[in-house]
Amino acid sequence: MNPPLRIDSGARTDVGCVRTNNEDSYQVEPQINLYILSDGMGGESHGEVASALAVQTVVTHCREAVESPATPMFGDLKPEVSERTNRLASAIHLANTKVYETAVANSEQKGMGATVVAAWLDGQRLSLAHVGDSRAYLLRAGMLEQLTADHSLVAEKVRIGILTPQEAETSEWQSVLTRAVGPQPDVEVDADEHMLVLGDTLLLCSDGLNRMVTDPEIASTLLTATSAQAAADRLVELANENGGQDNITVIVLHLSTKSQNVFGWLKGRRKTSG
Amino acid sequence: MSRLVLKFEGTDLKEVPLGNAPVTIGRAPDNDIPIDNLAVSNYHARIYVEAGSLVVEDLNSLNGTFLNDLRVERAMLKDGDAVLIGKHHVVLDQEHDAAPPADAMRKAPAPRVNETMVLDTQERRNMLEQAAAIGERSQLYPERLRVPTLTVLRGRTSQKEYQLAGKLTVIGSSSMATVRLRGWFAPNVAAQINKHEDGYYLGRGDRVPKINGVEIGGPTKLNDGDVIEVGRVRLTFVYRT
Repeated sequence: MNPPLRIDSGARTDVGCVRTNNEDSYQVEPQINLYILSDGMGGESHGEVASALAVQTVVTHCREAVESPATPMFGDLKPEVSERTNRLASAIHLANTKVYETAVANSEQKGMGATVVAAWLDGQRLSLAHVGDSRAYLLRAGMLEQLTADHSLVAEKVRIGILTPQEAETSEWQSVLTRAVGPQPDVEVDADEHMLVLGDTLLLCSDGLNRMVTDPEIASTLLTATSAQAAADRLVELANENGGQDNITVIVLHLSTKSQNVFGWLKGRRKTSG
Repeated sequence: MSRLVLKFEGTDLKEVPLGNAPVTIGRAPDNDIPIDNLAVSNYHARIYVEAGSLVVEDLNSLNGTFLNDLRVERAMLKDGDAVLIGKHHVVLDQEHDAAPPADAMRKAPAPRVNETMVLDTQERRNMLEQAAAIGERSQLYPERLRVPTLTVLRGRTSQKEYQLAGKLTVIGSSSMATVRLRGWFAPNVAAQINKHEDGYYLGRGDRVPKINGVEIGGPTKLNDGDVIEVGRVRLTFVYRT
């Protein structure tokens, strides 16, 4: 019944122009259609440890669940989302436990943490889960929509109406997260789902992109790129041209039925971290 | 001349002049500002000058370093800022200063918190309580107490009425659709309804749906009584009591 889908994916991470180490991690798993990135934090190189561990834990848990649906679930099950979306949230709960326990066992890593944004596709059905201020955007019919709500102090204040979006943009507290994977023994995970349609482009990014590149710039870059990888490369370039204040990581997915993006497709599984 | 003043319950305990050398704070006696309290780590935090600005840095202390009640790993300090360590405050006093160094004046105002960090649990709890208080007021929205329902007015669907229980409701012929469209040319995913914090939003699928006769642009919030048209199907969105 469903038309065969082609998912053209591209990803890129970059240290940026200011920082000396890249604390972001990402992984692209085309075999199970799982795409995840994480922005680590913590002194020294602990942010890298946290983000790499978070990414690895989520990927492993989801792979296990694909092979064996009886794999235990972690965290509260939410009846209003599908089993797969609950599974993705479960993976992030598990990642939280792993990062937290690693930090407890290694006192110099105390307090390390990471954001996570993960997209898992089941046909056209997108499961999306996130913690922190890494974002997912959907470009559909030329319009860019932010699918995730940042777990940051300024964003939460904007949502409850005690700060204006303009004040938020210039706030000195932009880097303060209200949720992260790792610093606390448990974490609340936001999980949501959407039905993707042909022609949709999904973008996952760390804040190093969206603090440097405006939404209209992001939209026009996604619209004009010749492949998902070209879009990812160009977005990272733009962030660096605009200052590159932080590490930048982007994952771009484009849904089509045609093989017009055959080169991006053939590149297949690309993964890296840190 | 800038100085740091160690305070405990309103009493000044110690004054340390600030030079170029870092000032360390901790329970160990060899700190520049020793604090003899079990809540304080041996080497808890330090304050130093970087690029013309004063910076406080937590040294991975057990109980954390707080700047104006927010837990920080590393943050810039300005005159009057109070750094909380255990139950002691270290207050920056710059009022005896002459003009600030020219270097500092040239610098663009930088964000004071330049390292990502997580809000301390207690602080977050306070903020969420504040949010909940506002949320309670928004509970006055009658929609919250009623069940969002789609009623089919025209077209071939699997049921005549659907209660929206999930975050995603798909209208289409897809096996994943809640509102299953029947018939030969029914689109796989005609449209979708997403639950957001403030209500339900209708978005396009393979078709662009209409609300009350008008094609939607992006995702559009549904109001009680709206008529949705997509393909050959017409439905109303109502909050049932």
